[in-house]
Amino acid sequence: MFNEYNPLKKTIFQIIDDNGKVINKAWMPDISDDRLIKAYKDMLFARTADLQIVSYQRQGRIYTYPPNYGQEAISGATGAIIGENDWMVPAFREMGAMLAKGVTLKELFLYFMGYEDGSKFQHAKFTLPISVPIASQLLHAAGIGYAIKYNKEQKVVFGFVGDGGTSEGDFHEAVNFAGVWKVPVIFIIQNNQYGISTPTSVQTASDSLAIKSVAYGVKGIKVDGNDFFAMYKAIQESVKVCLEGEGPVLIEALTYRKGAHTTSDDPTKYRTREEEEAWDIKDPLKRMKGYLKSKKLWSDAEEEKIIPQFKEEIDRQFIEAENYGPYPKEDVFKYLYAEMPDDLKEQERQYERFLQWKAAKVK
Amino acid sequence: MRYIFKFPDIGEGLEEGTIVEWHVEKGQTVQMGDPLCTMETDKVVTAIPSPKNGIIAAKFGKVGETVHVGSALVEIDIEGVEGSAAVDEANKVEPLEEGAGVVGTLEVAGNNAVLVASKEGVRSEEKNNTVGKKALSTPVARAIAHDMGVDINRIKGSGPAGRVTKDDVILFAKDGNKQTNPAVVSGETNIHALQPNLVDTEPLSQMRKTIAKNMIQSKHNAAHMTVFEEVEISELDRIRKKYKEPLAAEGIKLTYLAFIVKATAMSLKKFRALNSEMDFDKGVMLYKKYYNIGIAIDTEKGLVVPVIRNADKLSVKEIAVEINKISDKARDGKLTLEDMKDGTFTLTSYGSIGGLFAVPVINYPQAAILGIGRVSKRPVVKDDELAVGLVLPMSLSVDHRIADGGDTARFVNSIMGYLADPVSLIME
Repeated sequence: MFNEYNPLKKTIFQIIDDNGKVINKAWMPDISDDRLIKAYKDMLFARTADLQIVSYQRQGRIYTYPPNYGQEAISGATGAIIGENDWMVPAFREMGAMLAKGVTLKELFLYFMGYEDGSKFQHAKFTLPISVPIASQLLHAAGIGYAIKYNKEQKVVFGFVGDGGTSEGDFHEAVNFAGVWKVPVIFIIQNNQYGISTPTSVQTASDSLAIKSVAYGVKGIKVDGNDFFAMYKAIQESVKVCLEGEGPVLIEALTYRKGAHTTSDDPTKYRTREEEEAWDIKDPLKRMKGYLKSKKLWSDAEEEKIIPQFKEEIDRQFIEAENYGPYPKEDVFKYLYAEMPDDLKEQERQYERFLQWKAAKVK
Repeated sequence: MRYIFKFPDIGEGLEEGTIVEWHVEKGQTVQMGDPLCTMETDKVVTAIPSPKNGIIAAKFGKVGETVHVGSALVEIDIEGVEGSAAVDEANKVEPLEEGAGVVGTLEVAGNNAVLVASKEGVRSEEKNNTVGKKALSTPVARAIAHDMGVDINRIKGSGPAGRVTKDDVILFAKDGNKQTNPAVVSGETNIHALQPNLVDTEPLSQMRKTIAKNMIQSKHNAAHMTVFEEVEISELDRIRKKYKEPLAAEGIKLTYLAFIVKATAMSLKKFRALNSEMDFDKGVMLYKKYYNIGIAIDTEKGLVVPVIRNADKLSVKEIAVEINKISDKARDGKLTLEDMKDGTFTLTSYGSIGGLFAVPVINYPQAAILGIGRVSKRPVVKDDELAVGLVLPMSLSVDHRIADGGDTARFVNSIMGYLADPVSLIME
């Protein structure tokens, strides 16, 4: 696959067309019907939750939130493959993959409400917290990959970044060293066309983001990120490569951020309605649904029935998060280091004094 | 149960937003997630969804008006969602926060806004004429266009990707504007725009807009009548001086104002017309059985009127403590809507700065306002002898629709009586 779709050939790996019809039978992955339906439901759940969260944010019930809207197939395919013991190293637009690892919606809500506990996953193993400093997480992914290799474990690291993140030094350092060390890391670039408002065309002079893999001497592929099957197959092959000690792999997943960068962003200021409509045709859920309907595996009626159930569950978890209560003040200080250094201890004392002063003042 | 939904900070550190459109009416049933209105903020233009299921009991603010983050947007009745009786009930209710007794920072718009609230309002109407054409522009160009009163969406930009630059705006204002659309800019603003050094053009602050609106509303609706009086207060001065030191030791500043607030509250109890409000549309008078005295305070940003609640039940010392508290808050800009609402009568003591008599503007819809002038030593006649007296000038404006001359004069006499003989303040 990585020869056939070498990024130098400037091709894009695709399996279904815009309507969900298989156009690349040779690479069609073998997935059971049940697994497919579950994957679709997971993507639908993620989308429903995503839209709901934006509404909560507009009601003033949660802080800034970065929607996943339109990028669900990338997380969906990752979630369908990633193992319990594989490492998930997210950026901040991978809700589906995190839920698949066992992170709960409530935990994600807590994160966006500002709780440290929103990064302490009760059930998800080998999952790093959301990383907002762009591309910094890829260095962690490379480092974890090195540890896996050192310990001779059979595991893979999934490291995510956006197209904008590829312009960071961290991206270069991470992919470069992962290549030098030949570690089992799958770098997935969610190329959603914009780094906030900066279009990919002014992000890099390269023909693609996948082509950067050639310079690093690692395997790379440009995939239609709105094509669940192509993403699934590409990840499946990448896992194989990594487990054989031939990693890392760099996947450029071409997609489109249908929502805003975050709830503080207004995309109408930098892109056109026509462009959005052109991408609507390639919507990942629409395409997968097209395939499932053609195989009689899913219907609009089922979808209409299940969405209210999803909404109810999302609401339930949100209200739990809303009623979580105040966080202990030491949470602000204690999670950065295993042992708190002196300057941080001093900051904590200062903060305590400030709170005392404030309490006295308010009285 | 009533739930007041306050405009949330939907960006990161937003201060305000402008109402672009309302999607609900009073009495309408809403579900959580239903759009209430569309707001334009510095960051986004977006629908604001309802956080509750219920019935809209009140909406605050009109299209084009600016709403501060944390100010009430709608009031939702979240019980009795079913049945038309509930809807009728909702329709009956007056907005809780409306006319909250603030001259200055009333952030909630009243029903009878007589002014177009802001330039934004005008602009948003114009925007409707140029649907969907939102100009790309630099922040400085937008600021200049705003100051010049130019609609930036009409300008053809020369910058990258058609971006409107500062020079484009200036050029447009000079040449294109008058020919292409004379209606957009009045001749006057244009002259100012062309000779910017003659006039400093500054946008109205939210506070200034509110002050302007409330002043006009008062002058427009209330029939102002003002009576002037003088009261000799040497006895009050003697008492104040006696208690000033001990109270200062407790950190309390004892001023004449504390006595005046007390005298006013006690007099209001005797003359209910002065502590009332007229609802002309409904044909009713509202006589209030609580006595919340607003104190007009001059701050850097403008006039604010925090309220001393139930002043009739407080001692002079307690009133002094309250005055200290609200003055500190006003000076630090910490007053909240809560501090300023539900006033029933207002005092303005301009005399602490200067001025003997004035014609104070009523804090509408209250019935009256008492102005306190500068206290000074003056010749007075005592027991048919000329003596040096300490004279406090008072100016009382009343809404003559509500209070007749007789009651007004009797009310003033009552206050004068208390102040001339302060012991009477504790005799009732």
